[in-house]
Amino acid sequence: MKFWKFQKVFLAALFLAALLTACGGRTGDEGDKEEQGGIRDSVVIAIGSEPETLDPTKGWGHGNSPIVQSTLVRYTADLTFENDLAATYQLSEDRLTWTFTLREDAFFTDGERVTASDVVFTLETAKAARGSVDLTYMEEAVALDEQTVAISLSKPTSIFLNTLASIGIVPEHAYSEDYGRNPIGSGPYQLAEWRPQEQIIFTANENYYGGAPAIKRVTVVFMSEDAALAAVQAGEGDVAYSSATLGKTLVKGYHVEAIPSADNRGFTLPMAPDEGKTTENGAPIGNDVTCHLEIRQAIAYAIDRQLVADMVLNGFGRPAYSENDGMPWNNPEVKIETDLDYGRKLLADAGWQDRDGDGIVEKDGVKAEFTCIYPAGDSVRQAVAMAAAEQVLAVGIKIHVEGVSWDEITERMFSHAVMMGWGSSSPNETYYLYRSQGALLDDFYNPEGYESEVTDHYLQAAMEASTAEEANGCWQKVQWDGSVGTAMKGACPWVWIVNLDHVTYVRDGLSIGEQPIHGHGHGLPLIQNLEEWSWEDQTGAER
Amino acid sequence: MRSLNRRKKLLLLTVGMGVVFFGIYGLGILIPEEWVAGSFLSARQPPSLAHPFGTDALGRDLLLRTLKGLSVSTTVGLIASGVSAVIALLVGIAAATGSRWMDGAISWLIDLVMGVPHTILIILISFAMGRGLKGLLVGIAATHWCSLARLIRGEVLQLRSQQYVAVSRKLGKSSGWILIYHLLPHLLPQFFVGLVLMFPHAILHEAAISFLGFGLPPEQPAIGIILSESMGYLSAGLWWPAVLPGLTLVLLVLLVDNLGEQLQSLFDPSSAQE
Repeated sequence: MKFWKFQKVFLAALFLAALLTACGGRTGDEGDKEEQGGIRDSVVIAIGSEPETLDPTKGWGHGNSPIVQSTLVRYTADLTFENDLAATYQLSEDRLTWTFTLREDAFFTDGERVTASDVVFTLETAKAARGSVDLTYMEEAVALDEQTVAISLSKPTSIFLNTLASIGIVPEHAYSEDYGRNPIGSGPYQLAEWRPQEQIIFTANENYYGGAPAIKRVTVVFMSEDAALAAVQAGEGDVAYSSATLGKTLVKGYHVEAIPSADNRGFTLPMAPDEGKTTENGAPIGNDVTCHLEIRQAIAYAIDRQLVADMVLNGFGRPAYSENDGMPWNNPEVKIETDLDYGRKLLADAGWQDRDGDGIVEKDGVKAEFTCIYPAGDSVRQAVAMAAAEQVLAVGIKIHVEGVSWDEITERMFSHAVMMGWGSSSPNETYYLYRSQGALLDDFYNPEGYESEVTDHYLQAAMEASTAEEANGCWQKVQWDGSVGTAMKGACPWVWIVNLDHVTYVRDGLSIGEQPIHGHGHGLPLIQNLEEWSWEDQTGAER
Repeated sequence: MRSLNRRKKLLLLTVGMGVVFFGIYGLGILIPEEWVAGSFLSARQPPSLAHPFGTDALGRDLLLRTLKGLSVSTTVGLIASGVSAVIALLVGIAAATGSRWMDGAISWLIDLVMGVPHTILIILISFAMGRGLKGLLVGIAATHWCSLARLIRGEVLQLRSQQYVAVSRKLGKSSGWILIYHLLPHLLPQFFVGLVLMFPHAILHEAAISFLGFGLPPEQPAIGIILSESMGYLSAGLWWPAVLPGLTLVLLVLLVDNLGEQLQSLFDPSSAQE
């Protein structure tokens, strides 16, 4: 794969050069406008990975706003909701029926009005697609009239608004198989051009009901982080997604914005002993070392998370204690202090001792050593895993760190520790991570095999809660209810280590708005608030 | 030094080079894994007295890692080129002493393997064998025997038409006897020089394939791995992880290449007495 990376650097450089020449040509045409305004109205953004589709029913915009389409409700920067396409909405007494009234000034970019039947069509299509949007609990959606839609659920679901906030409404009249490549929506931007593996160009939707965005033309190019840094150093591109390891490099004319994220990294630790069992696909289950609670907790207490964030992530990160630190549905109780002595005590109390003097503890003939796998090529995961492994050696646990392919991870994740990453702006991630039903599935959520009736009870309660506050209380109890929970001082299925900041180079003079806390993703979360971006002064206009 | 003639000097030089080469090799093997592990607290340090080659992004000392990597690469190179040379010897002799049909088939096979670029062939074989050390060894061994085999085949064909071979045959000696007493002694210098000259190729291919990500796993300290890791940090101004290990690899390859040439001039009858 390295070969491609290398080639990409080259191609990217060539391509950017071509692009800029092209831009130069265009300024001639648009010159008048720019000189009058004195401020540029286009940006070039380099991000790490290309979206597979722009079809919201198939996963586009999942976890962040879809920009081409608009949603019924949307997140605010502090992760509450505000109306978007919806003018008003209400929930019935039994918490099973949501009724939305649409605003009247919303139009698709082909001039058609956004109606209730489009909403119905979108939800039914997304439900049938069974993609990354889980709508299995939606009974049916019915258009009551042109502007009103009633959605009935099979069970009360408090995260329904989170789900709606990530489904862009697609037009029923202009939807076809290749909609994902030729989307029409009612969002602040429209797709102008998509060259696969190269770039996507968005142009502003002048008729957007929220007001035409300040940035008129957005070019998104795809390149690896080091290629993006090289491009920025050459003064090309306005915004570039980067990584913690590269973010310390100072580049003239740019500043680095470290955007807080829920994008976390930590170990998943198999909770069952190795009894020779396998999953349906034949992947072995269980690990004789990590199945012991005291081992998992000793690891959790041995890691100095702040040190890892400072040294490995260059300070572009914060300690992680759960999958959702800093979110309203996070329980502050999950926090633990680094305590080597406590870790050693946990091991000693359970009978783990170093009898042969090699620094690694044993019990019943089992040495406290195991292998942690990570996707080869992900330097941040490798570095975090190796730093953590170095630290837990102090309590007598040896972790071998091994880089493998994702295919191999799928086969080995039920029996080995994995340096995994999650992070979402919706609490439903907690649901998927810890529900018993999801244990040992291939979806990477619960490879450690965590199952607990207590947790299932709280998860259910959170889903059925009538208000966000009530739901948040239940989500918090999933993590720690005072005696048990998924937290590291509880059952400790995960040892969370760090939350990554999303390191981004931004050209001086460009404002990228108030970025909401980013979820897991390689640069895509960055563009979710494009309509808030603007050039502040003229310095940015100089090339 | 005046008392030494050119041949003796050459011999000393060759022995000296051999000692350096095996010294690096042995040093690399003797370095314990723990030393290479390093600490993330000392990551990304430029070259200094404590770390002559600096440290990489994971805090590993690059000098130790390079030495360790060179010994891994050398092992790969030695085994792969050894196996390759033996294949070449067997195939070359088989082609030249076997039937016309076999000669044709082997020549065709040599053309076929030489016709495909080595790197691509090694990637294919290594990938099919599940990557890792095994795939790499098989890949390199299976691609590097061709030119030496062709050389040996030509040599054997030439030897077979020699008078003394014809005389032996008339005297009733068997093919096996002729092979062992007449052909092999002539072929051995070719074989050894070919082996030594194949080694730099093998080691460079090992580094290249690992660099491209089809060879050794990323934790293995191999030169290709070190170089490909360093790529990601070049744009951030970390030059030492790329330059110093790369230079070391070039020096080692030059050393062995030179060693091969010295051996050649020692073995080759036309230059041996100069």
